[in-house]
Amino acid sequence: MTATDAVLTMESGSRRAELLRLFLQPIAAVVLVGGVLLWAFSQDLDAIEVVSLNANTLLNSTWEHVLITAAVTVLVVVVAIPLGIVLTRRWARKIAPIFIGIATIGQAAPAIGVVVLYFLWTEQEGLWAAAIPLAFVSLLPVLRNTMVGIQQIDPALVDAGRGIGMSSLTVLRRVELPLAVPLILAGLRTSLVLAVGTATLALFVNGGGLGFIIDSGYKVARTTVLLTGAALAVGLALLVDWLGALAERYLGPKGLR
Amino acid sequence: MVYATVCGVDLWEFVTDRWPRLAAEAYQHASVVIQCTIIAAIIGIGVGIAVYRSPLGSTIATALASTILTIPSFALLGLLIPFVGLGVAPTVTALVLYALLPIVRNTIVGLGGVDAAVTDAARGIGMNRVRVLTLVELRLAWPAILAGMRVSTQMLMGIAAIAAYAKGPGLGTEIFSGLNRAGAANATNQALAGTIGIVLMALVIDGLYLVIARLTTSRGIRA
Amino acid sequence: MPEQQTSVGIELDGVTKRYTGQREPAVDSFTMTINPGETTIFVGPSGCGKTTTMRMINRLIEPSAGRITIGGDDALSLNPDDLRRRIGYAIQQAGLFPHLTVAQNVAVVPGLLKWDKKRINARVEEMLSLVGLEPSEFLHRFPRQLSGGQQQRVGVARALAADPPVLLMDEPFGAVDPITRGNLQDELMRLQSELRKTIVFVTHDFGEAVKLGDRIAVLGDRSRILQYDTPEAILANPADDTVAGFVGAGASLKQLTLLRVRDIELGQTVTATEDESPATVRQRIEADGRKFALVLDGRGRPLRWVHARQLGGDSLAGTGAPVGDLVSSQSTLQDALEAILTEGGDAVVTGTRGEYIGTVQLDTVVGKIRELREEHQS
Repeated sequence: MTATDAVLTMESGSRRAELLRLFLQPIAAVVLVGGVLLWAFSQDLDAIEVVSLNANTLLNSTWEHVLITAAVTVLVVVVAIPLGIVLTRRWARKIAPIFIGIATIGQAAPAIGVVVLYFLWTEQEGLWAAAIPLAFVSLLPVLRNTMVGIQQIDPALVDAGRGIGMSSLTVLRRVELPLAVPLILAGLRTSLVLAVGTATLALFVNGGGLGFIIDSGYKVARTTVLLTGAALAVGLALLVDWLGALAERYLGPKGLR
Repeated sequence: MVYATVCGVDLWEFVTDRWPRLAAEAYQHASVVIQCTIIAAIIGIGVGIAVYRSPLGSTIATALASTILTIPSFALLGLLIPFVGLGVAPTVTALVLYALLPIVRNTIVGLGGVDAAVTDAARGIGMNRVRVLTLVELRLAWPAILAGMRVSTQMLMGIAAIAAYAKGPGLGTEIFSGLNRAGAANATNQALAGTIGIVLMALVIDGLYLVIARLTTSRGIRA
Repeated sequence: MPEQQTSVGIELDGVTKRYTGQREPAVDSFTMTINPGETTIFVGPSGCGKTTTMRMINRLIEPSAGRITIGGDDALSLNPDDLRRRIGYAIQQAGLFPHLTVAQNVAVVPGLLKWDKKRINARVEEMLSLVGLEPSEFLHRFPRQLSGGQQQRVGVARALAADPPVLLMDEPFGAVDPITRGNLQDELMRLQSELRKTIVFVTHDFGEAVKLGDRIAVLGDRSRILQYDTPEAILANPADDTVAGFVGAGASLKQLTLLRVRDIELGQTVTATEDESPATVRQRIEADGRKFALVLDGRGRPLRWVHARQLGGDSLAGTGAPVGDLVSSQSTLQDALEAILTEGGDAVVTGTRGEYIGTVQLDTVVGKIRELREEHQS
């Protein structure tokens, strides 16, 4: 993808910058979270603060946050990758733009708006009430990358595969998909970061998560709680992005690295 | 279908009724996004120009900007409130920070991608560094830089909606209002108006970018 | 040991390909018998449909009309994937799967045919040796670590892995440099002399066709067969002006590719070994009325040419210029001519173990050309 493609990716576009981040990001996450936690717990916490700032609540919220992120990611993978594969088949060429259009609108729409609308429409609350609209918003990177990943494969390879006797399903499974994996992983990383970031909005539909801590701190005007919640959310996001970068780097086929 | 049409009609009435307020919010939304994009562009292009010839500098600048992008916008807002208060300040700070990566990255890649032979020729005929930069390199890198700005703006349109939480300007206000008044008469319409309004504006501004790109890119390098 | 499959012939009867929206068919009623065990070349200008015709044999393109029989079986009634597993397929860009190792690439078709693991591994090593790649070195490499020529060899190994009786090759040597191309062509001829597959080979290079083919089909628009005959016959008697134009003005020079070094008389030159004294060698050169001697190593392999003038020193070591291009008795006269031009003098001929057996002189080659030209005109 060239610099002039208006595409949002988490990649910095520079291999050295990616290496730098691979080393420093987890350290930054740990330092940030550790630092803020140390600071918060070294203060004298009043009764209101203790409600949010105790190990139990913090761990619970973090775990909820992880669950929401996981739910969104699973939804995105289960929908976007098969859909992306299907849309690259010859017979689907005409309807592909429709789905891409829908997913693009999904990404252009504000996450908070989609979450609120889904809530108002279904009157549901909780984890899935957040995960479903968030998955819709995070779809596009994986969908587009799956399609581009398959389309950019040298047609001579598909020809060679069919020519030596692979069925078209076998070519898909053993040639096209493995070669598309690097791009799919890059899209997955983008989606993951979008998911962990927008999961902070789950609080608005009672889905819990670290956004809940941030909101609590805001509502009761306690800076310690506000900053702790925010720092934890940032730390988690940095960690998830780092895991995504690792996956991108090491889960792809060896022959392509 | 009937339900959607009824909703649609309902929405239309709501929008036309509340037009002044909605229009003002839409204008504020677009305005803050565009202004922040421009501020980020000034900072980002400046940083890009400063570091693109240094591998270490580019690496650090790009790494920093891309790391900022992974920070959840809601969390960033939360981090900023204790320090800069509510309203416009946290909104602008957060938006500018987010807009940085696409612009910094594309500036570095764009400037770095200028054919060395071209800059060499420019120096050779007597242009000094500044002239080479402004007359040659920046103009050749412009499509990439503009594309970066376009990505930033798209991103900011969505993020600005969250800023309403911290009493920031824009259509996000409608969305939060609709949420808080769930069950009330026009709650859904408010959320719809806010969301659809943002999407429409994003599409329009994206189109504007394409026009600007066409107008400002020299014909010789148009893709 | 590979099972010896009897070679099969291919019958194409009225094979036609029509694309919707085009007035003329791309291939119009193509009828031909391809003999078993032969290398049949489809040669013609770009766009004449030769690749389309070949790809109908393994049904990568489905014929609009006509019959195709391979070894007596009706190709059009078989399952296409099954059919292709029994036909080798090698293309110009090699088409090696970049995410698989060389071994995995070659093992693809045997894997599809459900051979057991041990048999596949043995076969992969055998195939790599066959195409001149040392298995221990290349088994675990990835395509991007190979040169263009090496990739093509792996492509051929992959095509032959399941021991198909038929091999389809679509300009397989087109994407490599001329020297590598020459080597690969020689390798293919060596393979074919051992395996005797039925090969259908598409190329636009008539020189390549003459060098490799047992039979050549010169194709025109819509794959119309302009002439289908042995290379000698086409060179001697082009069927019409189009074929003559394609063969080109240098028909007799092209016939040089049909003759081998072993078909002509070799010259001899003064040779010396490194331990001989320069003075002795100089005496021998002058006695022979020549100017040069060829220095050989302990195994009789040519090392350097030395001029009489360079023999003033104490030892032969380090004198003279290294021999550049060598030819073997298998090499074509065209290769010999190129070697002569590269060396600027006689070309050195080596035997099976690389030892010196004689030289090819320009006079001999020119005389041969004259002979051929006279035959041609009669």
